[in-house]
Amino acid sequence: MPDCNKNFESEIKEGKNLRNVKCKYCSSLILTPSTGTFTSFEFNLPLMKQSKVNDSNPDTENVSLFWAVNEMYTFQNVGFSNTVGDNKYLTCADCEAGPIGFHDIPSKKSYVALSRVQHV
Amino acid sequence: MAKTYDYLFKLLLIGDSGVGKTCVLFRFSEDAFNTTFISTIGIDFKIRTIDLDGKKIKLQIWDTAGQERFRTITTAYYRGAMGIMLVYDITNEKSFENIKNWIRNIEENASADVEKMLLGNKCELEEKRQVSKERGEQLAIEYGIKFIETSAKASIRVEEAFFTLARDIKAKMEKKLEASNPPKGGHQLRASEPQRKPPSWLSRCTLL
Ligand SMILES: Nc1nc2c(ncn2[C@@H]2O[C@H](COP(=O)(O)OP(=O)(O)O)[C@@H](O)[C@H]2O)c(=O)[nH]1
Ligand SMILES: [Mg+2]
Repeated sequence: MPDCNKNFESEIKEGKNLRNVKCKYCSSLILTPSTGTFTSFEFNLPLMKQSKVNDSNPDTENVSLFWAVNEMYTFQNVGFSNTVGDNKYLTCADCEAGPIGFHDIPSKKSYVALSRVQHV
Repeated sequence: MAKTYDYLFKLLLIGDSGVGKTCVLFRFSEDAFNTTFISTIGIDFKIRTIDLDGKKIKLQIWDTAGQERFRTITTAYYRGAMGIMLVYDITNEKSFENIKNWIRNIEENASADVEKMLLGNKCELEEKRQVSKERGEQLAIEYGIKFIETSAKASIRVEEAFFTLARDIKAKMEKKLEASNPPKGGHQLRASEPQRKPPSWLSRCTLL
């Protein structure tokens, strides 16, 4: 299981993120405490590093632990990619690392993958 | 859920292709993530949170998605824009001359009271400079807008530029608000949880 963050349960308090959610690479602040709701479902998220450039079939992994954010302006700092199907992918607003999660256009909800960010 | 910010400003970056708009939007990264999925599909917009005089401001900043290569930007892109960064490259005369055309494009397509600012980017390339700082200042005076030279590569004054533009939009909005409903004492738009800590990009700025 790729995103079996060892102690992810300790990051949850009353269903929300206990600590700040930051970029793993540059520590840019993405979410402040208690602004993401813990959600679990399966999603095929493209890998941050791809083996080939400009490939229409990106390498993906199955990710299942997310912070759900209902309104995009809840984010402190985040980037939204161009649209792919029903989604936009989320990136760090500073170093462009991503996808750190995705935005679902029909429901207007955004999901940050626990395994793609750090909690501090 | 209660609103967690006081103001939301939609900002755009406009200018010739290659002047560094995308690098101004993101921290300049020397091809660090170049083989990623994200750089292949491109960025649509970015959300930034800044603190201005105790008010929490959300900036939604849009990149042009390369439309500028065709020398026109559609009305749809300008819709709802409250601030525009006009960017040229100080090592590229043509990009500076084209600012006039971009201003005309803005006048034809954007709301008349959109706040504008002129950026002379790549200012760390002094030895390749084609456009003097004075000419940049002169052009800005001509249009009655602010001017700043930046370098996305060396992280020079990029944050300052966004703060300046945001501050000017905020001042303009507060003026309008006051004019439309004169103070009855204590009337204020308030965030549910004001935050005093500087945002991360600011703290990084002070490290440099
Ligand atoms: N030396 C220098 N190069 C820069 C700077 N900003 C951007 N560039 C480079 O200019 C080129 C175009 O940048 P980009 O952001 O894609 O321009 P855009 O077409 O306006 O979005 C890229 O090769 C960047 O690496 C800067 O401040 N200094
Ligand atoms: Mg660009």
